[in-house]
Amino acid sequence: MSKIEQFSYDNATVKKFIIATVIFGVVGMLVGLIAALQLVFPAMNMGMAETTFGRIRPLHTNAAIFAFVGNGIFAGVYYSLQRLLKTRMFSDALSNIHFWGWQAIIAAAAITLPLGITSAKEYAELEWPIDIAIALVWVVFGINMFGTILKRRENHLYVAIWFYIATWVTVTVLHIGNNLELPVNMWKSYGVFAGVQDALVQWWYGHNAVAFFLTTPYLGLMYYFIPKAANRPVYSYKLSIIHFWALIFIYIWAGPHHLLYTSLPDWAQSLGMVFSLMLIAPSWGGMLNGLLTLRGAWDRVRRDPVLKFMVVAVTAYGMATLEGPMLSIKSVNAISHYTDWTIGHVHIGTLGWNGFLTFGMLYYLVPKMWGTKLYSTKLADTHFWIGTLGILFYAIPLYWAGWTQSLMWKEFLPEGILKYGNFLETVTQILPMYALRALGGTLYLGSVFVMIYNLMKTAGQGSFIPEEAAEAPARVVAASHKGEHWHRWIERRPVQMLVFSLIAVLIGGMVEIFPMLMIDDNVPKIASVKPYTPLELEGRDLYIREGCLGCHSQMIRPFRSETERYGEYSKSGEFIYDRPFLWGSKRTGPDLHRVGGKYPHSWHYNHMLEPTSTSPGSIMPPYPWLLEDDLDVSQTAAKIRTLQALGTPYPPRYDEIAVEDLQKQASQIAENLKKEGIEQEGLAQKEIIAIIAYLQRLGTDINPGPQAGN
Amino acid sequence: MFKHILASAGDINWMAIFALLTFFLLFVISAVTMFFKKQGFIDKMSNMPLDDATTESKK
Repeated sequence: MSKIEQFSYDNATVKKFIIATVIFGVVGMLVGLIAALQLVFPAMNMGMAETTFGRIRPLHTNAAIFAFVGNGIFAGVYYSLQRLLKTRMFSDALSNIHFWGWQAIIAAAAITLPLGITSAKEYAELEWPIDIAIALVWVVFGINMFGTILKRRENHLYVAIWFYIATWVTVTVLHIGNNLELPVNMWKSYGVFAGVQDALVQWWYGHNAVAFFLTTPYLGLMYYFIPKAANRPVYSYKLSIIHFWALIFIYIWAGPHHLLYTSLPDWAQSLGMVFSLMLIAPSWGGMLNGLLTLRGAWDRVRRDPVLKFMVVAVTAYGMATLEGPMLSIKSVNAISHYTDWTIGHVHIGTLGWNGFLTFGMLYYLVPKMWGTKLYSTKLADTHFWIGTLGILFYAIPLYWAGWTQSLMWKEFLPEGILKYGNFLETVTQILPMYALRALGGTLYLGSVFVMIYNLMKTAGQGSFIPEEAAEAPARVVAASHKGEHWHRWIERRPVQMLVFSLIAVLIGGMVEIFPMLMIDDNVPKIASVKPYTPLELEGRDLYIREGCLGCHSQMIRPFRSETERYGEYSKSGEFIYDRPFLWGSKRTGPDLHRVGGKYPHSWHYNHMLEPTSTSPGSIMPPYPWLLEDDLDVSQTAAKIRTLQALGTPYPPRYDEIAVEDLQKQASQIAENLKKEGIEQEGLAQKEIIAIIAYLQRLGTDINPGPQAGN
Repeated sequence: MFKHILASAGDINWMAIFALLTFFLLFVISAVTMFFKKQGFIDKMSNMPLDDATTESKK
């Protein structure tokens, strides 16, 4: 027996992450609630650019995922890692840098996103300097985690730690892969991939952000905190290992299910669908393992709020991971895609799985770390029931809204024309459901305040234990012996574990993405598709700044109901100059891919000034600042140069005359507007002109005719 | 058309087959080895979260 060593666990860092989790939970949910209310009461957009739906929707998603769940992951990992390895974290300094670095990134996101500084890639909206900061802080976390693993006193790595390792490895790969971009200046960059390739890389990232940020670390937390709270070992350790390898291997392939029926090649779509269906097995393996851990202890679930939250969390995980594969079946996706069904699905995962598991963890940790008992079980129960009702009120109306709207989009009259030809009818129909969803969000957020009160009271009645004394024998490094199981060999060696996880996730990523990148010259090109003019390019960047893609898709699927409503279906060759691609994933408003030439310039002018003037009942916010602010052309030349460097075929030295060209096209549009009765001083210099130029260009290349400004 | 895209990307069939085989092997090996693991080791691993090694928990 080796010598018993005395040491202590660092609770101070865990405490900081807990506080950040709670604060950013409230912030993220509050922003989400405001966004939900904006859909019912457009006045809630508050008439300011910074508070419009398009800009705060990414703020909500980023805050919920990376600030709330992110801090929750770190709190749980810093607590469980030390105890599972019987050692203190590798470095207090790194723990501090990690904590403050992550909060600084959140602050940067909270400032830049409302300012419209965004790369427009869902869940990766932050611009390149912040991307670099994220990478640095993530590496600090990695060093701290692997340092801790290396100095452990426990020979074997418990399955929770494998999930943490897989999370770290995969998030690193995803973050780098999806943020390869060339800067124009400090706050603007263009991605190295364009169009359909960009879409594939983005959703390879986007889906796996769900998989490896919202799922695998939380499974690790589940495997630690459920046995802890129930005071009994996990149901099947064997199952946890099989489910781990199957999950990380399969998850990475499933991304293309976000792009079904788009211009993505069929083979990639089928691959995404098949692997998504396969995901049911390892996902349910995890869910059953979590729930069955409580076998024989169900009476305690009734009494213990920690277990209550965890049971609903794991059940929500099971529901979401059954629903996900179902939504990945092409025929189901044909109905669900672009509708609120997806939003409902996602929130079962975030509110149920991530939210409730976090709350369960907090109810466990705070009394433990403050050396006391929970202040009030009754209040925790109240939180539980109001929160659960909140989830139901959130999700069910959105399922209803999704089905209703999708069926309305697809309904034809016997004469062969669309029954609801006016898109707006399908929006006003579901507004009551949006109102109910906002009620669900309010309940959920309200219940969180009950938790905050309860936890503060709990902390108040105890006293915080910053250093928890522990003792364990020094680690004896066991020599490998003949006939030992390969897996036991791996799990004693974290570095090999890292390499194996990396290989497992890279295989999927490579096979899917590699052919798409290799075929750069073979995406069927369309001769008439030309790069955007400087004015259209600036308009496109305004479209990105305002977050228009949060509500408008630019991808017409090859269904009769869509070609009838919007026009010819979208072809991959039309997007080769799109950096980033702007296909969108939700239609709160109609698709815009063929909006070019559909309305006169003046329609767009009036529509941006006051959407209800052209579309009575519209819930789109007004954009008066586009009519007031002058277009910034100081970066136009630099943008052209950056795009040229990425391969967009502008003529040599075009950057020198780009602004001149831009002004020419702008005056033509302003002239046209004047003819249509729009009088405004200095109109040709305004941002609205660029937006009009871009919108009028959209989708017109395959059918060259009179273009914007002509 | 997609056939043409795949054909011009070079011979990538091996990648799909390699991936399938890797997954299949990984799954089968991990399942089989887990099945034959000693119960003592499995018990030790599954009880790991329950022992904090804090001096408090040892009392």
